[in-house]
Amino acid sequence: MANKLKMLSVVAAASVLTLSLAACGKDSNNTNNAASPAGTAPAASSPAANGGEVNNGEKVTITFQNIYADETTPTANGLKQVVEAYTKEHPNVTIELDTLNTDQQKQKLKTQAAAKTIPDITMVNPAAQMQPFVEAGLFAPLNDILDKDGLKDTYQAGLLDYYSFNGNVYALPDGNNIEVVYYNKDLFAQAGISAPPTTFDELIEDVKKLKDKGITPIAIGEKDTWTGSFLFMNILLRTNGGPGFLQDVLDGKKTFEDPAFVEAVDAFQKLVEAGAFPEGATSIDANAGANLFKSGKAAMFIIGSWETGAIDGSTVGQAGNAAAFQFPTVNGKGDPNQFMLAPGTAFAVSANSKNLEVAKDFLHYMTSSWPQIQFDLKNAVGQPQLMKGDLKAAGYSDLAISVLDLFSKVNGGDLAFDNTMKPAIAQVHLTSLQNLFVQKVESASVAKEHQAAYDANK
Amino acid sequence: MNVLKVPARTIAVFILPALLLYVCIVFIPIGVSFYTGTLDWDGINTAKHVGFDNWHRMLFDDPYFWPAVRHTLMYAVFSMTEIPICLLMAILLVRFIRKPNRIVSIYFTPVILSVVIIGQLWSTIYSPESMGGMLNSVLDSLGLDSWKHGWLTEKNIAMYSIYIVSLWQYFGYHLLIQFTGVQNIPSEIYEAAKIDGADGFKADRYITLPMIVPILKISLILAFIGSLQSFDLVMVMTQGGPAHATDVISTHMYNSSFLSQQYGYGSAIASFLVVLCLVFTIIINTIMDRVERRYS
Repeated sequence: MANKLKMLSVVAAASVLTLSLAACGKDSNNTNNAASPAGTAPAASSPAANGGEVNNGEKVTITFQNIYADETTPTANGLKQVVEAYTKEHPNVTIELDTLNTDQQKQKLKTQAAAKTIPDITMVNPAAQMQPFVEAGLFAPLNDILDKDGLKDTYQAGLLDYYSFNGNVYALPDGNNIEVVYYNKDLFAQAGISAPPTTFDELIEDVKKLKDKGITPIAIGEKDTWTGSFLFMNILLRTNGGPGFLQDVLDGKKTFEDPAFVEAVDAFQKLVEAGAFPEGATSIDANAGANLFKSGKAAMFIIGSWETGAIDGSTVGQAGNAAAFQFPTVNGKGDPNQFMLAPGTAFAVSANSKNLEVAKDFLHYMTSSWPQIQFDLKNAVGQPQLMKGDLKAAGYSDLAISVLDLFSKVNGGDLAFDNTMKPAIAQVHLTSLQNLFVQKVESASVAKEHQAAYDANK
Repeated sequence: MNVLKVPARTIAVFILPALLLYVCIVFIPIGVSFYTGTLDWDGINTAKHVGFDNWHRMLFDDPYFWPAVRHTLMYAVFSMTEIPICLLMAILLVRFIRKPNRIVSIYFTPVILSVVIIGQLWSTIYSPESMGGMLNSVLDSLGLDSWKHGWLTEKNIAMYSIYIVSLWQYFGYHLLIQFTGVQNIPSEIYEAAKIDGADGFKADRYITLPMIVPILKISLILAFIGSLQSFDLVMVMTQGGPAHATDVISTHMYNSSFLSQQYGYGSAIASFLVVLCLVFTIIINTIMDRVERRYS
C-alpha cells in the first residue's frame, strides 16, 4: 500500500508537464463583462471616446506586449516616448510593457491565445500568421480608429490589405520593409573587393575573399530560425524568376520539388559551404547576429531594411562604413528590383480587453504620432506611414537615403515563408533550413521534406 | 496497518480532501490531455475529432519523435550513472573530512541557481572562440586544438553538451541526499562491525550499501523522472536545435503545440510522456524492491 502511494506520488510528479499544458487550456476566459459601460459604445458615435475620459479618470492598466527588446533601437526609444507622453496626458492610465524577443513573443502570444487571455495590445505578423487569431475572434476590428482624424490615409497604399480580413482591419503595422544586403565598405576594401556583387557567383567569390582575410562574410543569428529563412527566400525569389512561388504551391500549380526550389537550396548550401556564416551560427540569436555586423566583425548582413536606423547608430554606421545593395541575381535568374517584402509586425487589440476603448485610444495616439517621432529619431526608413520632411536637411545618413532609394525601385516581390504558409509547414521549413547550416543535405530531400509537410498540413 | 484499529470509514474521511485535490490537479488534467490528444486543434479555433491519428503519426510517421525519445532516455541514463559516484563521494566525505557540511553546501550551489542562468552561462562557455567561448579558448591554450568543437552546434555533440550541464547542476543535489543517508546510519553498527573485523570499504560493502538502498532508490527515481521531463535547460540552450538534434520529448511536445500550432498532436506526445514515466517508475520500483529484499 505504502509502496503504491509512493509510486503514485512519483507519477504525480511526472505528470506536471502534462498538467501545465492542460492547465493552459483550462484557464478562465477573459470575458468582457467587467468592461466599463462606455467601453461597449462604438467609439465613432461617442464623443467621449477622446482619450482617458473614456473611463472617467478611473485608474486603468493596459498591458502592451511588444517586440522592442533591443533598447538601443529607435523603435524601442520611440515606444518609450509615446508611452511617457500618453501617460502624462492621461494620468489615470498605466501602460505596462511586456517586452520580449520576437520568437519569445510569438510563442507567448500563442500560449495566451490558447487560454484566450491575450494582452490588451499585442503584436502579430501579417497574412497567414494572424489569420487563426482573427478567425478565433481574438482581435478587435480597428476600422473606427483608422477613420478617426484621417489616420487611414497616413498609411502607404495597399499596405493595410495584409492585415485585413472580411473588410475589417485587425492590426496596424509598425513597418513596411524590403530585404537588402548591408555591407561594410571598409571590410570590403580590406578584402580587395571593389564593387558590391551583382551575381550570386560574384557573391560567393567575395565571401571567399573575406573568409581568407579572417572576416566573417555574412552576419546571421540562426538560433532564431526566421533569419536563415528570410535569406533563403530571397534566393528562391531569384531562382523562380520572379515572385509567387509559394502562392503557386498553395494554388496547386507547383510543388516544392520544382526545380526552382531545388536550385535555391543548392545555392544556399553553396553559401554555407563557402563559409559565409559565422562560426556556430545556429547558437547565435538574431540580436547577437545583427551585432556581428554592427560592431564591424562581419562584412555583410542580409536582412530587412528595418535595421537601417540601428545600423546608423552603431559603430559601423557612425564611422560611415555602412552601405546597402540589392540582392544579386542567382544563376542569371531573377530581377534585382524584386525584393522580399516585409510588411511589418503589427499592433492588434484584444477583443476581450477589459479596457478596449482605452487600448484603442492609445493605439490611435501612438500611430498618429509615430511617423514624426521616427522621423526625428532618424528612423524614416521602412516606416508604414508616409513621411513628411526633407531627409537630407534632417541630417539623414547616406545609408538611409540609399536604402530609401532602393524602396523606389521595388517592382514586386514575395512575403516571408511563415507569412504565407501554415505554422506547421513553416516550422518544418524553418528547422529544415537550420539543418543546412550544420549539415550538407541532398537538396532533393530538402524539397521532399517540404512537400511532405505541405501535403500533411494542407 | 491494522495496528491502530481505525475503521476504514475514518481512514477514508481523512484521506478524502487530499485525494480530491490530487484528482483535480493530477488525474483530471491527465485525462484532458489524453482527450486533447485525439483532436486536430490549432489551439485557437474549433477542434476536430480525429481518433488515434495523432498517435499513429507520432509512433510511425514522425521522423523526429523516436530520436527525441532516445535523447530523453539517454538523458535519464546519464543522470542515473551519476548517482553511484555521488554515493562514493558521500562516503569519502563522511569518513575523511572533519566538517563535510561546508563542502556539501558548495556542491549544492548550482542546484539553487535558476536553470535559465545556468543555461546562459554554459551557452557562453560552449560558444565558439570568436564569440568568447571559454571552453574552446581553454582547449586552444592547452594546445588541444583538435578537441575544439561547436559544442552546441554540431549535431552529434550538442546533446552530450547538454547532458554534461545537467550532470554538473544536479551533482550536488544527489550528493546531499546520499550524504544525509550515509550520515544517518548509526555509528554503533560500524563499531560492532569493527569488533567483528569489518572496517573501511569492507564495512561499506556490508553495512553502508545495504542500509543506503532506500535512499539510493529515491535518488535514482528523482534523477530518472527529472530527466524524462527535462525541458527548461534544453529550451534555454538550444530550443531543440540545430534541426531537432537536441529535441527531447518535452521540447518536441512544446514545439509541436506552440510553434507548429498542433495542440492535439502535442497533447498526444504529452500523454505518451505520462505513460512512459508510469512504466519506468514501475520498472524501477520492482527492481529496487527486489534489491531491498535481498539485503533485508
